[in-house]
Amino acid sequence: MDKRKLLHGDWQGATSWVVILALVIIVFSFINPRFASIENLRNVLVQASVPLMLVVGATLVILMGSIDLSVQGIMGAAGMVWILMSPNARGGIDYGAWAWVVATGIGLILGLLSGVIHTLFRVPSFVVTLGTWNVGVGLATILYGDSLLPSLTSEALSQWPTRLTLGLPNSFWLASIVVLAGILLIGFTQLGRGILAIGNNEPLAVVNGVPVIPIKIAAFGIAGLLSGFAGILATMQLGSGAPGVGAGQLFTVIPAAVIAGTALSGGEGGMVRSALGVFLLILLNNGLVLAGVDPNYQSGVFGAILVIAIVAVDWPQRDRLRVAK
Amino acid sequence: MNNSVKPDASAAVSPGSNSQSPVAGHFSHLAFWQAMGPFLVFAATVLTVSLVNPAFLGGTGIAIVTGAAASILLVALGQAMVLHIGSIDLSNAAIALLGAILMAMALPTFGIAGLIAVLVAVTFFGAVNGAIVAYCQVPSFALTLGMLGIFEAAALVTSGSETIYVTKNRELVTVLYHYRLAGVPLTFWMGVVVALLYWALLRFTSVGQGLTAIGKNEAGAIFAAVRTGWLKVLAFAISGFTAGLAGITIVAQAGSASASGLGSDLLLPGIAAALVGGTAISGGLTNPVSVIFGALTVAFVPIAVQAIGISAQAQSLVYGIFIIVVVVLTTTRSRDEIIK
Repeated sequence: MDKRKLLHGDWQGATSWVVILALVIIVFSFINPRFASIENLRNVLVQASVPLMLVVGATLVILMGSIDLSVQGIMGAAGMVWILMSPNARGGIDYGAWAWVVATGIGLILGLLSGVIHTLFRVPSFVVTLGTWNVGVGLATILYGDSLLPSLTSEALSQWPTRLTLGLPNSFWLASIVVLAGILLIGFTQLGRGILAIGNNEPLAVVNGVPVIPIKIAAFGIAGLLSGFAGILATMQLGSGAPGVGAGQLFTVIPAAVIAGTALSGGEGGMVRSALGVFLLILLNNGLVLAGVDPNYQSGVFGAILVIAIVAVDWPQRDRLRVAK
Repeated sequence: MNNSVKPDASAAVSPGSNSQSPVAGHFSHLAFWQAMGPFLVFAATVLTVSLVNPAFLGGTGIAIVTGAAASILLVALGQAMVLHIGSIDLSNAAIALLGAILMAMALPTFGIAGLIAVLVAVTFFGAVNGAIVAYCQVPSFALTLGMLGIFEAAALVTSGSETIYVTKNRELVTVLYHYRLAGVPLTFWMGVVVALLYWALLRFTSVGQGLTAIGKNEAGAIFAAVRTGWLKVLAFAISGFTAGLAGITIVAQAGSASASGLGSDLLLPGIAAALVGGTAISGGLTNPVSVIFGALTVAFVPIAVQAIGISAQAQSLVYGIFIIVVVVLTTTRSRDEIIK
């Protein structure tokens, strides 16, 4: 375990991260001066909001050594449910706050479903969540149907994410609250301790009476709920419902968590680092677009970052007798 | 997914961890499922379709379904070989699509030589996956997820996000789709031949036994001097090569290739077909011949779904539930194992 401690503790590595982020900002502003403008940095904050919410849930699951691939599917399903229950071009009744409750509820249920199947039927989490990913996409596609594009008709709602409060966009405030809740959850609750214990050494957690199964189900449930929440925010930002509203998010969230030193084998990492990882990737993407790089390269760049990051993290652990599947 | 073979706490605490899961232990019908399941599921699907839509099987329905099943079958066969060693290749469908695009670009100028060059290239891509998994010892699902992103970007960039039409030499590949043997396109027969070859590889050769040993007990295989690293590279290279063959079937059917066109959605059907074909996600149990029925079943799903009156849009929902149910039914479980 200790061999891999590049960044010891969740906060201690944070300073070096701020330096890296500052370097990225300086380099890109030399390439395109518009990069460091206030408008663009606000734009970056808006772009970072959705992956920031997602990375909290993803980190909870990865800290246990499991993985949640279902984020994009759950985002699609929750986003479609939300828009169809809010003022949209298809008409229908505006359910107001209930739209939020039902949409995040769908996310919670899909997340809990992943957790229950993963633990009770003892199926690897990546297969279960590959399944729930497609269940989510399927639900969203059925809700989308063949009729009119459900675009958001309420100006107040569609402008809410980018509107400024105290100089920062609303969606970023929302994401910050979620990240803060994640930090508190990991640091100060029994659930958080349990998640770290499972990730660090599951057999030991079992014999010490840690309620492993309920904790795992809860972690997947929270991840699903946050994916649903992020789906609503992404739908608002897009201004219309779409089953593919979460497209590409998986390639931001998992690399972000991994480059920030959250080990895929579990037990190591934290919310602060994951959040900084998201910022790095979003800044990088924004900078590349402003530098005139074809957006088609994005999934390739993030994919390459993921590959390099997992190789770098696992490199010191190589051993002739080690088994990695 | 990451187990260390050095004696650690899991060995010490195993007697106490029995009560960890309420549904632990083997399902007794597992052996039966392995032998007959894939065929029975296929038969049930065909029965459903023929009851609801009797005209379907009489006309060109068979040709359409087997044509659609060909690319699924080939991707699934490659996936099954990787699942056989207990890993997974999330990038092989993207390799198939990239291969199809490269072939569509190479065919007009280089003809058959172009096809072969692309097959060599995709086999190499697969081998790179395998080499990183084997020698950097990283979890395959994470690595191939990253590779999936890279190959998707490569497909978009090489095609310029446009449809590449095969302007010359088109009939060299389209004949594979249009020529039918016993009412079934040659592309599907190609899949059947590959399945038989892989079955023989696993059944009769020491290489195949080495792959099985890795899937059943990798630590044991290492101690038994099985060359696990090399065999892992081989398994992933086979996956890349077979994905390239799937690329041929895509070009054969469409006469063109694009990053968002035919064949852009093969990953999940491929995994589903391998699993419905009785391949165990935990490794060591693969019958390529059963995967043929798995692929046919998966290709029938959209048609069966429509036949029983559910909209075609429910496809991915059905695939998703399919994967979960099949994995739940077929995963081999041992009491002390930690499942991540």
